[in-house]
Amino acid sequence: MNEYMIIGQYVPGNSFVHRIDPRTKITIIFFFVIFVFFANSVGSYGILTAFALITTFITRIPLKFILKGLTPVWFLIIFTFSLHLIVTKDGTVLFNLFGWEIYSGGVIQGVAISLRFFLLILFTSLLTLTTTPIEITDAIEDMLAPLNKIKFPVHELALMMSISLRFIPTLMQETEKISKAQSSRGVDFRTGPLKERIKAVVPLLVPLFVSAFKRAEELAMAMEARGYRGGEGRTKLRLLKIQSIDIWVYLLFTCVIIGLFLLRTY
Amino acid sequence: MDITFKDVSYIYQENSPFAHKALDNISFHITSGSFVAIIGHTGSGKSTLLQHLNGLVKPTKGEVTIGDYHLSNDKKIRNIKELRSKVGIVFQYPEHQLFEETVEKDIAFGPENFGVEKSEIQSRIQEILPAVGLPKEMLERSPFDLSGGQMRRVAIAGVLAVKPKVLVLDEPTAGLDPRGQKEIMDMFYDLHQKQGLTTVLVTHSMEDAVKYADHVIILNKGNKYMEGKPEEVLSDQKALNKVNLDVPEMIQFLLAFEKRFGMKIPYERQSVQKLAVQMQHLLKGAES
Repeated sequence: MNEYMIIGQYVPGNSFVHRIDPRTKITIIFFFVIFVFFANSVGSYGILTAFALITTFITRIPLKFILKGLTPVWFLIIFTFSLHLIVTKDGTVLFNLFGWEIYSGGVIQGVAISLRFFLLILFTSLLTLTTTPIEITDAIEDMLAPLNKIKFPVHELALMMSISLRFIPTLMQETEKISKAQSSRGVDFRTGPLKERIKAVVPLLVPLFVSAFKRAEELAMAMEARGYRGGEGRTKLRLLKIQSIDIWVYLLFTCVIIGLFLLRTY
Repeated sequence: MDITFKDVSYIYQENSPFAHKALDNISFHITSGSFVAIIGHTGSGKSTLLQHLNGLVKPTKGEVTIGDYHLSNDKKIRNIKELRSKVGIVFQYPEHQLFEETVEKDIAFGPENFGVEKSEIQSRIQEILPAVGLPKEMLERSPFDLSGGQMRRVAIAGVLAVKPKVLVLDEPTAGLDPRGQKEIMDMFYDLHQKQGLTTVLVTHSMEDAVKYADHVIILNKGNKYMEGKPEEVLSDQKALNKVNLDVPEMIQFLLAFEKRFGMKIPYERQSVQKLAVQMQHLLKGAES
């Protein structure tokens, strides 16, 4: 299962989307997430879906790979869909499913909500798929910089974020390694009664925590050894600069949003 | 137990941008009771290969046979637990898998999972402790209070307590001091001979391979590069250098000796002391 987890994973590439300034990407995603909730007609959903799919296409990451990586989310989408299907009682009765009357409104509502959900997750995962964690935290640090004025520890926050992002894959690998070692010692993580399976997590979690703490300590030591002492006066290797492609992206996105408001019903 | 790989390929994350072929069409046979060394550089597929040995992964293509157990992509493995009780794997840095409150509980963890009786586990622990070089007083201590080398020994004891028929070792001496390395390897060799185990040693130490193994398989980038008797395979300097491996020092020395004096001493796992005596005999004989 771990093999297909794509949340937080970066796929190296040099596509147009990869080259957009991370701040631009974050801003656009922020507004996209808001505007998804304004869509309420076939046309408005259509334009957002088209925008998301075309962006995905431009990244040159196979859609099949992304969809497979969203496996854990599919469950949630299907669950919401079924819930709306059963609970909503608008429109005409379409057919009878095991004693439940399925209304046309339920189908429409179900499709709309699942699509909304899907768009949100697809679009936000495009950020992590095309942007390295370091770029993301640099961008966040830069965007939060005004908060420094009220003594908010922006740099420390960004550092914490980049460290946690950096260690997600490491911890996943570690988990896989330990779970393989314990499976070899006869632990069964996949079958058996629930109680047994919960108990089987202990031999996995204890070593994982031990190594995580050890790693944290080593990292802190290595950082101090290299003279790290916080954000003040620290210069950056990569300077973020808004370029012409970012302007184009903003313009295009504005067009999409205008299109959305023209196509939605009031 | 006999181990056979037939045209085995393994691909990580198939159908994704990260797809990576770790093993490419590998076939070999390991006879029951032999000591086999699998040598290769980082990324040569060693670790992937050993995970096939107890069904942690299934081959993407081809078939793996271990005793009566068959692993292939399309079949579900039956009795996987039984297979795992017969194939013990000592992973790289096995001390990372310790988790129990006491050393005793941690060693007993494996056998308990495989349904070994309590009294039997106790007698196995008593038997294994001296073999891995741990004092009895340590049983009550927390494994996290021990030194790295001692933790390693506890972890190894945990694998041995299951009494596997096949013992798979993935660089078991990495990160130990030279003396600890020798002690642990000698211990494995001793067990191998006394209990008639089939041992698979995954390593990049040529010295260990030539010293202990009676069959050597060299992997390079997921392919089988060479296979055969250690004294033959490991003296082929040209072929070894091609994949950035070196002839073991002992054999290097024998080759240099042959070149210098025109006399051949066959390598038969003699100790350094014995070799010195042999050389003395040969050189004295040449003088008179």
